[in-house]
Amino acid sequence: MVIFFVLPLMLTVVWSVFERTMFWMEPAFTLFSYENFFFSSRLENFISSMLHSSISVVCAFFIGFPIAIFIRRRVKKVAQHRVMLLFILPFMVSEIIRIFALRPILSRNGVVNSFLMDLNLIDTPFSVFVFTPTGVVIGEIVSFLPFMIFSTFLALEAIPNYIFEVCSDLGVNRRRMFKDILLPLAAPGLFAGSVFIFVNGIGIALIPTILGGPGSVNAGLIATQAIIALDFPLAMAVSAIMMFTLMGLLYLGHKLFNLTKLLEPIS
Amino acid sequence: MSLRDDFQPKWKLALKWGWLSFAVFILMAPTFYTVYISFNELGFGAKYYIFTFQWYESVFSDRQLIGSLGWTMLLAFITLPIVIPFGLMSAKLYKQSTKKVWIVFILLSPLFVPADILGSALLVFFKNLNKFFTMIAEYTGIYALESWFDLGIMTAVIGLIVYTLPYVFVVIMITMARYRVEQTEAARDLGASAWRAFWEVEFPQIRAGVFSACAFVVILTFNEYTRTSLLKGGFDTFTSVLISQMLNTGMSEESYAMASIVSLVAIIIVSIILIVTAVKTDELEKITRAVKEPSK
Repeated sequence: MVIFFVLPLMLTVVWSVFERTMFWMEPAFTLFSYENFFFSSRLENFISSMLHSSISVVCAFFIGFPIAIFIRRRVKKVAQHRVMLLFILPFMVSEIIRIFALRPILSRNGVVNSFLMDLNLIDTPFSVFVFTPTGVVIGEIVSFLPFMIFSTFLALEAIPNYIFEVCSDLGVNRRRMFKDILLPLAAPGLFAGSVFIFVNGIGIALIPTILGGPGSVNAGLIATQAIIALDFPLAMAVSAIMMFTLMGLLYLGHKLFNLTKLLEPIS
Repeated sequence: MSLRDDFQPKWKLALKWGWLSFAVFILMAPTFYTVYISFNELGFGAKYYIFTFQWYESVFSDRQLIGSLGWTMLLAFITLPIVIPFGLMSAKLYKQSTKKVWIVFILLSPLFVPADILGSALLVFFKNLNKFFTMIAEYTGIYALESWFDLGIMTAVIGLIVYTLPYVFVVIMITMARYRVEQTEAARDLGASAWRAFWEVEFPQIRAGVFSACAFVVILTFNEYTRTSLLKGGFDTFTSVLISQMLNTGMSEESYAMASIVSLVAIIIVSIILIVTAVKTDELEKITRAVKEPSK
């Protein structure tokens, strides 16, 4: 893992300052690739993809966190993992198939619009579901929601049952229970889930390619387009920027919440 | 599966179960829809639905597809015997180590690195490595070293190992959590070698996790696209054929059928694992209860 994972990712920083040649790159020290990234529309695209990913994180929190709490608190201990496994199934189906299949579901003459029109809820079909930023957000939620549920559930699972029982005996209301117990104790899981969704949202090229239309570009797409254009230093600069973003977020999360706590229930 | 909390109104519990089921349904809807369309003779967008196996027949008569299926299986079966022992060793190392943070960081961070970014980094890494080995070959005259890291099966397998190892690690860790290390210590005290203690005492108890990890590796290999397409070189995998058909000609009826085959196989395998695990957990619980309360 050190040779084929850590080393290539660390070397992206070195390759990003190499000079571009016709078909490859040669050793040099130039910040041209970074200039190329930061002083062009690529930066604008990167920032807007960060915004879309942030929206996806917030939506995944509101959809996924109640589910994780429900499974931890209301489902019998023996059945909790089985219910969680229901969310593994979508992960076992190729992401590409799931995202591609969203097109006919969300398109103008797709299933959702037909359903809404059959119910006479709308007269004209919505066209905001695909080839728009909304489509990207929907795609990110459908792709990454299980991870928010898993990581939050893992964090909640580490809370001993007696804490809930004590709260119940002391008559703590739901709001305080959520604010003072569940939210702080689930924080490592929420953070890990949020980082996963955020980083993959700005890094996976497929979602904007299939659901975002021509204007939607994220870091992953910039990197793959740079490789197709044989601009390897630019692709490596984008990878390095992504790596720094990820490392920074994980370091911050570990300092604040000690992310290894997440593995305690299974270790 | 029964519900707890007697103090909550039943309708509220039902509402929460409804929300959970709705979330699962939404996550699975694209897959179900793909399967649904794959059986329609008239394809997507048609007013009428006529059930047919026609698209599946044409998929299986597609030589390119069958060839890609062979390549994908080859990749899966090369990756499997490498990644499973790695996962086992990593899980054991994690349990014994005091520096857990670094092990977790190295093993789980591939989950957080987007496929396009890792794929691009590995592609450039292999190209540089290839140049380096070619240089050594020219310098030493050992030409066998040339083209070691040319894009091909080996590079694709390395990409798959980096991708699947975190999943294998987590799955094996979950089963290992139930294993009590005292049993290994007892076996060692009775004179068993480290290998024998592992193979005859520990492995039978974590076998389910290891087999589940094997299934996950095969499924993930069949579903992987981005890293493999960047690192595979000249051959086509199942998903790369599927995606090129989808991107070049749009979703044809054959594409729906191909996607359905991959999805259904994965769902069936995972469902079997879930059912077997559930049954085994129930049996274990019954035994534990019987030991704890022998009179009942």
